[in-house]
Amino acid sequence: MHRSFIHRRSLLALCVGTPIVAALGGCRESNSIGSLDLVWGRRGISDGRLQKPRAMAIDGDDLLYIVDMTARIQVFTTEGQFVRGWQTPVHTSGRPTGINIDRRGNVLVPDTHYFRVLVYSPTGKLLETLGGTFGNAPGEFGLVTDVLEDSQGNWYVSEYGEYDRIQKFSAERKFVLEWGGHGIAPTQFSRPQAMAIDANDHIWIADACNHRVQVFDTTGKLVKFWGSHGSQPGQLAYPYGLTLDPQGHVYIAEFGNSRVQKFTSDGQSLGCWGGVGRAPGELLNPWALARDSRGRIHVLDTNNHRVQRITM
Amino acid sequence: MQLAFDSPWYLLLLLGLPLCWWASFRTLAAFGRMRRATAVGLRTAVYLLIVLALAETQWVRTSDRLTVMYLLDQSLSVSQEQTDAMVDYINRAIATQRNAARADRAGVIVFGREAAIEIPPVDDDQSMPRVETTVDRDHTNLAGAMKLARASFPHDAARRVVVISDGNQNAGDALQHARGLAEAGVGVDVVPIRSRVVGEVAVEKVMIPSDVRRGQPFDLRVVLENTAGEGQQPRPVDGRLTILRKASGHEQVLTEQDVTLEPGKRVFSIREEIDQPEFYTYEARFVPADPSADTLPQNNMATAFTHVRGSGQVLLLEDHENRGEFDLLAKALRDMNLEVTQRSTRPDELFSDLAQLQPFDTVLLANVPREHFDDDQVEMLVRNTRNMGAGLVMLGGPNSFGAGGWTNTPIEEAMPVEFQIKNAKVAPVGALAMVMHASELPDGNHWQKVVAREALKALGDQDYCGVVHWGTTREEWLWRGMLRVGPNRANMLARLDRMTPGDMPDFESSLQMALVDFRRLSNAAVKHMIIISDGDPAPPNYGPGGAIPALVNIGVKITTVAIGTHGPAGSTPLQTIAQRTGGKYYVVTNAKTLPKIYQKEARRVARPLVFERESGFAPQITQQHEMVQGIDSPLPPITGFVLTTPKANPLVEVSVVSPLPTGTDMNPILASWTYGLGKAVAFTTDTGPRWDASWTSWPNYDRLMSQIVRWSMRPTDETGKFSITTDVADGKVKVVVTALDQDDEFLNFLNLDSMVVGPDLKPIDLDVRQIAPGRYVGEFDAAGSGSYLMMISPGAGQAPIRTGVSIPYSAEFRDRSTNLAMLETMAKATPAGGRPGQVLDPPLDLPLEERVEKLLETNTFRHDLAKATSSQAVWPLLLFVCACLFVGDVFVRRVTVSFEWLTPYLRRLVDRLMGRDGRPDVTATMDRLRSQKAAVTGQLEQKRASLRFEPVPEAKGDVASLADEAASTAPLRERPTSTMAAERDAEGYTERLLKAKKKAQGPRRRDEPPGESKPKS
Repeated sequence: MHRSFIHRRSLLALCVGTPIVAALGGCRESNSIGSLDLVWGRRGISDGRLQKPRAMAIDGDDLLYIVDMTARIQVFTTEGQFVRGWQTPVHTSGRPTGINIDRRGNVLVPDTHYFRVLVYSPTGKLLETLGGTFGNAPGEFGLVTDVLEDSQGNWYVSEYGEYDRIQKFSAERKFVLEWGGHGIAPTQFSRPQAMAIDANDHIWIADACNHRVQVFDTTGKLVKFWGSHGSQPGQLAYPYGLTLDPQGHVYIAEFGNSRVQKFTSDGQSLGCWGGVGRAPGELLNPWALARDSRGRIHVLDTNNHRVQRITM
Repeated sequence: MQLAFDSPWYLLLLLGLPLCWWASFRTLAAFGRMRRATAVGLRTAVYLLIVLALAETQWVRTSDRLTVMYLLDQSLSVSQEQTDAMVDYINRAIATQRNAARADRAGVIVFGREAAIEIPPVDDDQSMPRVETTVDRDHTNLAGAMKLARASFPHDAARRVVVISDGNQNAGDALQHARGLAEAGVGVDVVPIRSRVVGEVAVEKVMIPSDVRRGQPFDLRVVLENTAGEGQQPRPVDGRLTILRKASGHEQVLTEQDVTLEPGKRVFSIREEIDQPEFYTYEARFVPADPSADTLPQNNMATAFTHVRGSGQVLLLEDHENRGEFDLLAKALRDMNLEVTQRSTRPDELFSDLAQLQPFDTVLLANVPREHFDDDQVEMLVRNTRNMGAGLVMLGGPNSFGAGGWTNTPIEEAMPVEFQIKNAKVAPVGALAMVMHASELPDGNHWQKVVAREALKALGDQDYCGVVHWGTTREEWLWRGMLRVGPNRANMLARLDRMTPGDMPDFESSLQMALVDFRRLSNAAVKHMIIISDGDPAPPNYGPGGAIPALVNIGVKITTVAIGTHGPAGSTPLQTIAQRTGGKYYVVTNAKTLPKIYQKEARRVARPLVFERESGFAPQITQQHEMVQGIDSPLPPITGFVLTTPKANPLVEVSVVSPLPTGTDMNPILASWTYGLGKAVAFTTDTGPRWDASWTSWPNYDRLMSQIVRWSMRPTDETGKFSITTDVADGKVKVVVTALDQDDEFLNFLNLDSMVVGPDLKPIDLDVRQIAPGRYVGEFDAAGSGSYLMMISPGAGQAPIRTGVSIPYSAEFRDRSTNLAMLETMAKATPAGGRPGQVLDPPLDLPLEERVEKLLETNTFRHDLAKATSSQAVWPLLLFVCACLFVGDVFVRRVTVSFEWLTPYLRRLVDRLMGRDGRPDVTATMDRLRSQKAAVTGQLEQKRASLRFEPVPEAKGDVASLADEAASTAPLRERPTSTMAAERDAEGYTERLLKAKKKAQGPRRRDEPPGESKPKS
């Protein structure tokens, strides 16, 4: 029996299916984990504008705290409305590259190039300082990248440089223990750039220059690690930002691949969002991300000097 | 929004529209009224759009926005206090007057000799804490600032400049540019910078003859001026006058006395006589006892210089790290009656301007590396030879020629040899990889480009070079890995210009990339890497499998340059990298020192240019020359020299060559040529200290060396008497030369080649022409303060006449009162479509803060200027619409659109709305179906009839099948009466009709072969 080479129905299926297959096939082109909801932010040094923002955190009221290359900590609503801002005391040696919120809603600023952690009230009042001395002794720091608090009020401070390590401090800010070291072996780090903590008090660390994620318990015992260098789905290139959701998913901002990738807790890629560029939906070396109470992901699009919001 | 037409004459074509209508009505007479009207309407639109497109219709939009550019005078005549007040004024004016709702923009341009954009025009309340841009403050070029402002204005807004200046321009024509701005619709507001003029004392000039003979007495005159302030009575000013005489490296106070300056001009003179031939600078300073009697201290000093002729002088420059290396040579030259001055390359000993080189008739560069000199000093050495006629001799050594990093410098240009080796078999090559990390230092990217360029220049053609930086997503080579410099140098420099290094996360990836390429370059004798960074990237992997041990294994040394590091956290990793690989570690606090570091490091790669053989080899004299006269060949053996290649120029004479290494065309040991007005000599071995040890006991050593130096020296024979006078007025220097021969007769018709070198070391054209017997005059613009050296050559082989003129202080200190008249004239110019500008000039007696308050009362963002318009060509859009309408016209004429099919639906809808029984009339429906069925049956019959006679391939020639077919078709014709009637009862009309339709369509189906299209029985 005669059959035409391309049946009308198969042609239709081809037309409809190709974009879908193309969208699903490569992580780079796909935005399979969510869709662009909002883009805001403009380059500048006046209030409400951003100058190469490098760190972002979100508090319980869904206010975004962003620190940029002018060493300003600016507070925005999730819609991008400027609320307030302040600046770190000194910043000639360098600007902070991390920010986090503790359980009381205070703002923890790792003052990277001053080897210390600054604690601010949500309105910008300096409450406390930890560290300030360069070195590898307990309580001394290299280039501090992030700080977070566990359910018991303990602090974990990550740093890089000659001594890539995590130091644990009690709620009274007493040194408890440390782990890590510069290297590529498991439990070692090469620029632990960001940390997040889950409901089990497991500390998730974006080991940026080893292109992987390492998970530890509160005693510094390695629970698991996963990740390899590359641009394919499931691979990582300089993970700089990391956040978790209640379902156990891990969202990672990749500086190198300029994308956000969603993983299961075991490192199975669930999809990507972004790609290199300046258009909405594209990213240029993102440094951080944050998840709000409605499950939306806010991505700090560093070299585009803006924030992009993704609905999941 | 408005429409405008670039070619409005095409609109006349609209007159043809009635003709179009007339023709259309005639040709469309057969259509109904509606179709005809529609078609005519569409044709009219098509015609209209074509005419509008031909007329080049523009869509014109007007904007309410306003852009204000503040032009801030930064010349020396404006004090820092005034600048600060004006910065405050600009900040507050932008913050309070800018209309944010209108999205007004504000920008700031600062200017001195040149103009620069401090803040580009942006719609934001940008505040500048201080002026960051550095401009040359020696001049006021208001015209340049206005030109830049005009170029910087966005086109979508009305434009205004606010000139903040004292109006004392000394470069350009501001009034002309103000008129140009007005014609372009740009408004000009003026804020005169005014200050109260108090008394002023100035040293106007020092007068001495420019050229004196040894022992000849002359008068030195100092002219001082004392002027009273505005509204003040002239009064004498007491103070101390000091006159100094400076020669190379030393100065002497000639007089220091208390004087009382009466109002007006006064001249002090002293008698002076000089015994030592030298180039002398005289400096006169006046310090008033009461500083309040003087407004500008900058004009209290003046200088002048003169040249005292004598016998030949030699300047021997040696490496300060190897001081005394050439003592033997210096002694030999002194023994041969040459005056030798030995200086090291230590910054405080080295010359800083061209004048300091003038006492010397030749300069010997004795094994000194490139990085000991800054770019200006290198340029001075070359100018001293090319334009001033002095000799330049480069002596060999491991820090000389190409091995000293002099490749691709102006010195190589001046030398008779090229510092690179063309033959790759002889020259081992070097490989240099540079890693660039984005620096947070001000102008960091600029300096990275500078250093990369300098390092690249220092590399030879055979060397390899690569640059790694962070691209957008990963570490990248700036070009495709480590490439040979020779054929790619121009491209590499172009790429470097476009380089924008990113924020590199770690060093490991970059080092791994470099490692791969270094492994590939097995022929590279020297492998070197330079990392420039603030230390932010994560350190590399020092352990097994890491880049550092692998690089060490293949002999790569890494030099790290810490720039703007964030304390020890940033510097320690860089230090460790250098330490582990055997490289050097530098900490840079001033970016300007970076190029020197890179030159020095690039020199490590150029080391293979030194050729050494411990057993020794004897150089041969190949060509007789004044320098080797009376010297027998071969010369005593040497153990090393620096490889060079003679330039392919007929002026180059290679007198001595080395027999080794073989495989090259020529290995010059001694080469010379004439370069500009002077002579340059390349002596590639080191005259004794390291490679020519056997020469020290050689009887002809002194003779050879002195002959080389003497040949290179500037001629000193005097065949005539020349006197030169200079006069500075209105920013110009007038030069008058009087030429007499030995018998005091006028020398006429001389062709005087002349050259002036300005304070910036740039040559200035000076055309000296004869205007009377023995009298020659020339003139040039003296743009800045400093020393102007003049070299006038009376003819070939004659000693050049050297003189100079000094302009002690900037023209900015000449005018002290504000040029209000000019500023007001600028503001009065009426911009096209707007109103003239305003002069914002609060009373002078108010304090600065209050004056700023007063200034803010005038709104510089007032919109009394012509609104900006922008136009956009819309013809492509018109043509697109036109094409669509044309298709519509064709459609209307060719296709009958009927809406009858809508009628039943509408009727049913109306029935339903009216509440009537919406069911169709069964009888009517049945009648319609019956008639339809009859029509379909008729069609089927026709089809069958036609099919009956269709050729059936299988049936051809097959009688049996024909019989079968006849049997199968025959009942079909007869069945309607019996079988179909029975079926009619069983099946509804609709099913039957559908069956019939399917049968009728059956033969037409494409996917069935013709044989299957036969109706089946």
